[in-house]
Amino acid sequence: MSELFRNRLTAVWFFLAATTLFSWWFSAQHGADAHEVGGNVAIAVLLAALIKGGLVMWYFMEVRDAPPWLRWMCGGWLVLFFSATLALAFRAF
Amino acid sequence: MTSVVATAETGKSAEPQDKGHLPGEGGLWFFVLGDLAIFSGYLIIYMFYRGWNLEQFQHSQALLSQGLGVLNTLILITSSWFVAMGVQTARKSSFAQASRLIALGGGCGLLFCAVKLFEWYAKLSVGLTIETDQFFSFYYMLTGTHLYHVLVGLALLVFVWRELRIPAQPRMMMIEIGATVWHVVDLLWIVIYALIYLLR
Repeated sequence: MSELFRNRLTAVWFFLAATTLFSWWFSAQHGADAHEVGGNVAIAVLLAALIKGGLVMWYFMEVRDAPPWLRWMCGGWLVLFFSATLALAFRAF
Repeated sequence: MTSVVATAETGKSAEPQDKGHLPGEGGLWFFVLGDLAIFSGYLIIYMFYRGWNLEQFQHSQALLSQGLGVLNTLILITSSWFVAMGVQTARKSSFAQASRLIALGGGCGLLFCAVKLFEWYAKLSVGLTIETDQFFSFYYMLTGTHLYHVLVGLALLVFVWRELRIPAQPRMMMIEIGATVWHVVDLLWIVIYALIYLLR
């Protein structure tokens, strides 16, 4: 097992898969109530997506080793986009 | 002369820390960030419509196949892993192995398409079309636009695969471009999946 994880990309895949399964499970468990808006599901699901997006960008897309301007733009997008969606997830207009 | 040090872990050449390594080339990232911006706009609009029609959206969302959604997410994550491994392997000059990994990544991409088409077929056959309601309008538009990106990405992976199989030295820039576009496909799906399928 540790031999697989010696390759960082494989470790990233594992965390992506684990986070996916967790968010899928969490959403299924807690999302049944149709009258609920926002709440823990929104936070968990969006946080999971933020983490996954960050992992794909940083390790698969190699933004981690990219010039600072690209790291800032990608990081900025992650924060801005998920903040906006989280805020909107809590609103029923 | 720049010293090239291949690390055992990533097989990448070390470059001055302050410069960093931009995969592919600049124009690629103009496309990547632009594409992200467009999809982000689309998804923010989705969130507004969701807020305005929350009950309808929640009701229609419940008709989605969560099983197929998570399956496709895992498929695409795995395909990205294959492609990333392919790039890493190519940098170590194991081009034959790299081409096999790229092929596996592309194979997963084809599997994603098959699952997606089946999912649409299942929806359409019970009368859930793009005109059914606002949610399904977004669903088909977003997943459809994404599928178009998958097809473009697959075409690029074919180019990458061929590049790795030519007798001459493969051009790493071409490899990186194809791989980066593929990862964008994965990234976009991660976000679509979270907002359309999971966000209750």
